[in-house]
Amino acid sequence: MAQHEVEISISKTGEVRVHVKNAKGKACLEYAKWLTHVIGKVKSQQATSEMYEPETKSRINLQQNLKTEDEAT
Amino acid sequence: MSTVLILAPVIISSWPAITAAVAGAATALGFVMNRTVQETLAGVQTEEGVENVEVELAESEVLAQSLATNQQIVLNKGSIRLVVERDARGRCKVCASSKGHSKAELKQVAEEFTQKLTQCFIYNKVMKELKGKNFQIVNEEVTQDQSIRINVRRWVD
Repeated sequence: MAQHEVEISISKTGEVRVHVKNAKGKACLEYAKWLTHVIGKVKSQQATSEMYEPETKSRINLQQNLKTEDEAT
Repeated sequence: MSTVLILAPVIISSWPAITAAVAGAATALGFVMNRTVQETLAGVQTEEGVENVEVELAESEVLAQSLATNQQIVLNKGSIRLVVERDARGRCKVCASSKGHSKAELKQVAEEFTQKLTQCFIYNKVMKELKGKNFQIVNEEVTQDQSIRINVRRWVD
């Protein structure tokens, strides 16, 4: 079981800041997509490294891709 | 960690949901709701010395099928009257009028109300959606800058 956390701050002008925590990869993207649909339009989005750490298998694939890209350059 | 999103609110909703947000904004700003139906401002607008200012919620759409013709919400605070209604383009509009205030003052009042209305609307919508997705509300507070901060969590397999 994993615990996903979301902090939502609605400013006095109605602008919303959403911070999705502990959700990785696809789950994080799904939360972002869902909340965008609920609230409005994206003004900015800042992703951190954790968002790109979905599961062990996917992580390995991502590392392999990066390695291949490094070799190509 | 993960991701941070900044979102601009868009209000696309039925009239009852907007009415709920108007009620919340009115309570927060000290307005008293008078009527929810068929008020006309003709008498007020023609009265001498009464100033009127209209502020439109640009990113809004009131769904027409939920709204009776000429339906409005009228609010009062002292000599200031606010009328919330759907304009011809389907947007939500707030009209402020008063005999003892300048246009600039009324514009400020109307803008403050539209901001609070937007905040209340988004709060109501977000809370409904969060509960629908089985999120647990961990903390909820109003900060010094009048923001509403909500912390939620959910356990997943």
